Amino acid sequence: MSFNLSYSKTDRDLTQTLNKPKKWWYVAVTLLGLGVAWGAGSWLHQILTGIGVAGKNNPVGWYLYITTFVFWVGIAHSGTLISAILFLFRVKWRSAVYRSAEAVTVFGLATAGLFPLLHMGRVWVFYWTLPYPQMGGLFPNFRSPLVWDVFAITTYLTVSTIFFITGMVPDVAIVRDKAKGWRKKLYGFLAQGWQGTDNQWRHYTQAYVFLAALATPLVVSVHSIVSWDFAMSIVPGWHSTIFAPYFVAGAIHSGLAMVILILMPMRNAFRLKEYITDHHLESLAKFLLFTASMVGFAYIIEVFIAWYSHNPWEQAIFSYRAFGDFKWAFWALFICNLAFPQLFWFKRFRRSTFTLALVSVAVTIGMFFERFVIIATSLAHEYIPFMWGLPDLTFTEMGIVVGSFSWFFFLFMIFAKTLPVVSMWEVKEQQEPPKANT
Amino acid sequence: MSKYKGRNIMAVFPAMDVLIDGIKQLQAAGHENFLVYSPLPHHEVERALKRPKSPVRVFTLVGALTGFCTGWGLTIYSVTSYPLIVGGKPLISMPPFGVLAYILTILFGALATMLGFLINARLPQLRLAAEYDERISNDHYGIQIFTEDTALLTKFEKVMVKAGAIDIKKKK
Repeated sequence: MSFNLSYSKTDRDLTQTLNKPKKWWYVAVTLLGLGVAWGAGSWLHQILTGIGVAGKNNPVGWYLYITTFVFWVGIAHSGTLISAILFLFRVKWRSAVYRSAEAVTVFGLATAGLFPLLHMGRVWVFYWTLPYPQMGGLFPNFRSPLVWDVFAITTYLTVSTIFFITGMVPDVAIVRDKAKGWRKKLYGFLAQGWQGTDNQWRHYTQAYVFLAALATPLVVSVHSIVSWDFAMSIVPGWHSTIFAPYFVAGAIHSGLAMVILILMPMRNAFRLKEYITDHHLESLAKFLLFTASMVGFAYIIEVFIAWYSHNPWEQAIFSYRAFGDFKWAFWALFICNLAFPQLFWFKRFRRSTFTLALVSVAVTIGMFFERFVIIATSLAHEYIPFMWGLPDLTFTEMGIVVGSFSWFFFLFMIFAKTLPVVSMWEVKEQQEPPKANT
Repeated sequence: MSKYKGRNIMAVFPAMDVLIDGIKQLQAAGHENFLVYSPLPHHEVERALKRPKSPVRVFTLVGALTGFCTGWGLTIYSVTSYPLIVGGKPLISMPPFGVLAYILTILFGALATMLGFLINARLPQLRLAAEYDERISNDHYGIQIFTEDTALLTKFEKVMVKAGAIDIKKKK
């Protein structure tokens, strides 16, 4: 994939995304702000009243908060896949889409990171999770997957933010050189004095390769560690050796759907069809079809192993998932995550805006259901019938979940109007450099 | 102390091929004290300049090894300083501690890479060079030649114009 454009046109087209916002942007940001306010108000209510206002209970102690946490960590994964792994494999089509995908990673993690806090009964002592000697010199239990999770998520957020910012420095310098007045000062500050000398590029390109190489194993490890929050326990439906690859595949599946969902309106609103082309969306759709096959394989193996193991509790939980209280979510996840993406076997569906949007929305919903089914059903239907029970869905919990979606899109909207959404220097790299002797 | 300081001229080029000509002519004249500005990294420019490999990789390696040792060190120290058997597992449990060592290897490696980049690229800089040309980030190129010899600078100015420079900025 190469662009038949000039350097000047690229800079002009890709910096116009930072022009004064239109009315629709203000309307969207206001609505999302209201959603964030609803979420924040719900959290405040929960802090003042007590964790009981959330729908989780005994036995379902992990419910919508942990479901949403796992969902957002999953959403974050495709960004690193597109920006780091495809970079190391020198996949050219990534250059136009990776910046937005990276933003999805950073904002997805900024949203996910809130949920362990939201889930805490006493959030004001959140620092007890940090690795320091607490009462009597006792450290947190480093054998606990929950402590690994604290390390994994904070590391992932730190590394992806460094990668995101580093990738943006040369582009911010372009904006600085085009801007005037206070904007020049602001972008001058953000560009850190970047001038594009050969020395700067030499160190930059090497740092970028190493950051990509360091971020790549995180794609595999972070969601594996999240999956071990479940798999390390002995709860039926959770205690499984396939959970790590199963969660990683699901994470990339949902993340790709979210990236497609964000790129489509963005390329229309900012008139970026020359840069984010049908070919880009089609490539993402093919990728989505591939990840659908991976999660499909995991779903089938999971059910097969439950039957093949002759383990009555394992069989009972899968029977409960398919025919019990949450059967609607179980069958919906199969339809959304497996059936809908099959449309992408056909080129005309991969090229159709409607189908792309439909499948991406279906997969996003389906992946939320997948996490919900794994988490809620296993706890609701553990070993002893005496301990079986169902959670409640409360207004507070719903407010926080809606607030998290609003928060993610709110951050993205602010990003889209303040920083370049497409990497200018990497798009230029796909073009012929200006030549005087032609 | 940076060798890119003092009296200099900045030659601005409209295209990459003439920039390479300019670099080659400077090298032919035996002058190596110059910086090349470009809107993006080009292999052609790298090949012409023959600069040494960036030392950022050393920062990455040292950072990653520090993280690896910190991961093992922190976890082993924590259980030996307050021995407490949890869940019947050995005090020093290698698999879970390995997870933390793995994560800290990546974290420290990434932080050190960022630091290495900033130190080596001399960033952040509060002010841009006075001779910096704003067209460079868009589609122009530049060669900044440093020497205290004014006669040599005048000579290089002519060489650059002959090579195809469209603009010369001077710092006295």
